[in-house]
Amino acid sequence: MSVFVQYLVNGLTIGSFYALVALGYTMIYGIIRLINFAHGDLFMVGAFAGWLVVAAGAGMHLPVAMQLLLALLVAMVVVGLLAMGMERVAYQPLLKSSRLAILITALGVSLALENGAMIAFGAGFDTYPANILPLSGFHLFGAQVGYVQVAMFGLAILLMAGLYLFVQFTPVGTAMRALSFDQDAARLMGINVEGVVLITFLLGGSLAAASGVMMGLYYTQINFMMGFLMGLRAFTAAVLGGIGNIPGAMVGGLLIGVLQSLSAGYISSQWQDVIVFAVLILVLVFKPTGLFGERVVERM
Amino acid sequence: MARRYSWILAAAGAMSLLVAGCGSATTSSSSSSSAPIKIGVPVPLSGSYASAGEDIVDGAKLAAAKINGSGGVLGRKIQIVPVDDACDAQTATQAAQNLVSQNVTAVAGGYCSSASLPELQVFHSQGDLPFVLDASTNPQLTELGYNDVFRTIGRDDEQGPFAANFIANFLHAKKVVVMDDNSTYAVGLQQDTVKALKTYGITATVQHLTPGQSDYTSVLTQINQLHPDVLYYTGYFTEMGLLLKQAHQLGYKFQMVGGDATNDPTVLSTAGSAANGFMLTTAPLAQFLGTAKSYVTEYTQKYGHAPGPYSVYEYDAVSVLAQAIKNADSTKASKINAAIGKIHDFKGLTGTFSFNKIGDRTPAVYITLRVVNGNFTAYKELNDAGQWVSVK
Repeated sequence: MSVFVQYLVNGLTIGSFYALVALGYTMIYGIIRLINFAHGDLFMVGAFAGWLVVAAGAGMHLPVAMQLLLALLVAMVVVGLLAMGMERVAYQPLLKSSRLAILITALGVSLALENGAMIAFGAGFDTYPANILPLSGFHLFGAQVGYVQVAMFGLAILLMAGLYLFVQFTPVGTAMRALSFDQDAARLMGINVEGVVLITFLLGGSLAAASGVMMGLYYTQINFMMGFLMGLRAFTAAVLGGIGNIPGAMVGGLLIGVLQSLSAGYISSQWQDVIVFAVLILVLVFKPTGLFGERVVERM
Repeated sequence: MARRYSWILAAAGAMSLLVAGCGSATTSSSSSSSAPIKIGVPVPLSGSYASAGEDIVDGAKLAAAKINGSGGVLGRKIQIVPVDDACDAQTATQAAQNLVSQNVTAVAGGYCSSASLPELQVFHSQGDLPFVLDASTNPQLTELGYNDVFRTIGRDDEQGPFAANFIANFLHAKKVVVMDDNSTYAVGLQQDTVKALKTYGITATVQHLTPGQSDYTSVLTQINQLHPDVLYYTGYFTEMGLLLKQAHQLGYKFQMVGGDATNDPTVLSTAGSAANGFMLTTAPLAQFLGTAKSYVTEYTQKYGHAPGPYSVYEYDAVSVLAQAIKNADSTKASKINAAIGKIHDFKGLTGTFSFNKIGDRTPAVYITLRVVNGNFTAYKELNDAGQWVSVK
């Protein structure tokens, strides 16, 4: 029992990182039907941006809480803007051309970001200060739960709840949902489509950046390739939850984290990806739209 | 509907393929008698182990500078040609072919055994190019019977028994878990250690992890259920740092000991205070070698950081090659190979050594290190009587 709880706690922690990144995939897909393969790399850029802020903050002897808050905010803003720039430069000119063209562009952006980060920060590992967060924790049903794990999970839930409320209850959020149904109709209703798409990228990028900073702080190691594996897993989470569906991405992310943790614990860490993808395939066989996905009229 | 999803998955597959390596090809134009003698250095310069690779290249460059400063070899300068093998078998094959196409005279380098293996096969098939390994410790590399493979470092089947002796006779462990990361190197060391532990009456439990993840808490939880005294991890430093930190967070108390691939400052920066008390078995660092004091000073001055664990072995590998080319009075591969085999009591920075019939360094040396106050410090070594004593 205590071991099971331990796996669950570990899985939920890593799952919350996945979920934050998965949200960006799902939002962008929902609105412009693009699988933004560069999204995982936004997560990586966020981790590096936060790392730079923490290093600068430590140099100026700011209090730790201030450093962390600044790192999170600066990374979210910087990466949000970067995501908007990415949309403007790389995707918007191609929105009307074939899906394949824009997909390949996304791969190109991904490689550009990865190699750009390698040139800027080197090919090796950089590390967040290892002792910036407390290592202590408490016991829950015999499992060791770190305060940091709780804080990370809480922050992720808070951000996700914020996003959900934004999408459900603000005019911009309503416009986003309208766009996901029918872009042309939305435009006829007077919605500024380009603006809303940009805001979607801003939000998706910021959430990925938050996840990057949190993961950097939690695991300390960051690397220019860290976005690749994250991107793949978060994308899987988005598909599992039903791509285009926001609560689906959250649940999908947490589910993948827990699945990974349980399969690594009870079977072997070599099998964790096999099991995760087997579950994904099974879900898609029986429910092709994912757990929460709804059947929408196929366009194109 | 179904079509859309199959398309999504196909795209994901394409994405993973695209990431597999890309080598850089440089054009070559050499072979006049005054042109420099090129020595290839295949090491990981991208990916998780890039920092170790860069240190090795720097060590090679220092050796070349030293040799060139005293007139070079056969009146020609030594030129170091680094190439990225990404610690990946496929990329390594391309990297080795790249070196061959650049007409290198010999090769000194290697880091991951899983990359060195395909490399030495390329060099062997391309006219027995001499390959002196500086860090790849898998026994198989010299056991293939090739006459062009040598190494300046000990091999895993020597480290395994050393580690087992340390765990059994010094740490007095009863329950031991030995974990690898499925790489050629780590599995080899794991098997040798487990075999050697048996001779001390210890039946170790074997575990594997998948490298490149960030979260190993589940693996650690699984291990902790066995209540081991010691966890010996034979994989690389990236994962070691994470294992130490996460075990500390989970409150697990078993002693962690690492193999020589965990000998890297990244472990300390990743794990912070959780690294204190961590021990590892390794070929001695330059810092702990009396013969390499001036090398450490020179390296640190030039590159602004301490030499990594293997750069000094690379320095010796390049020096051995230069000596052999001089002795052979030729840059012909077969003559260099013969000359390396004949080198006796070479006075390198890592001590005085020769090569045995299959190209392995004799004698090999190992020590243990321990992290104290966030620094690797020399800990115990075996004296001639087979007792554990503090390293002087």
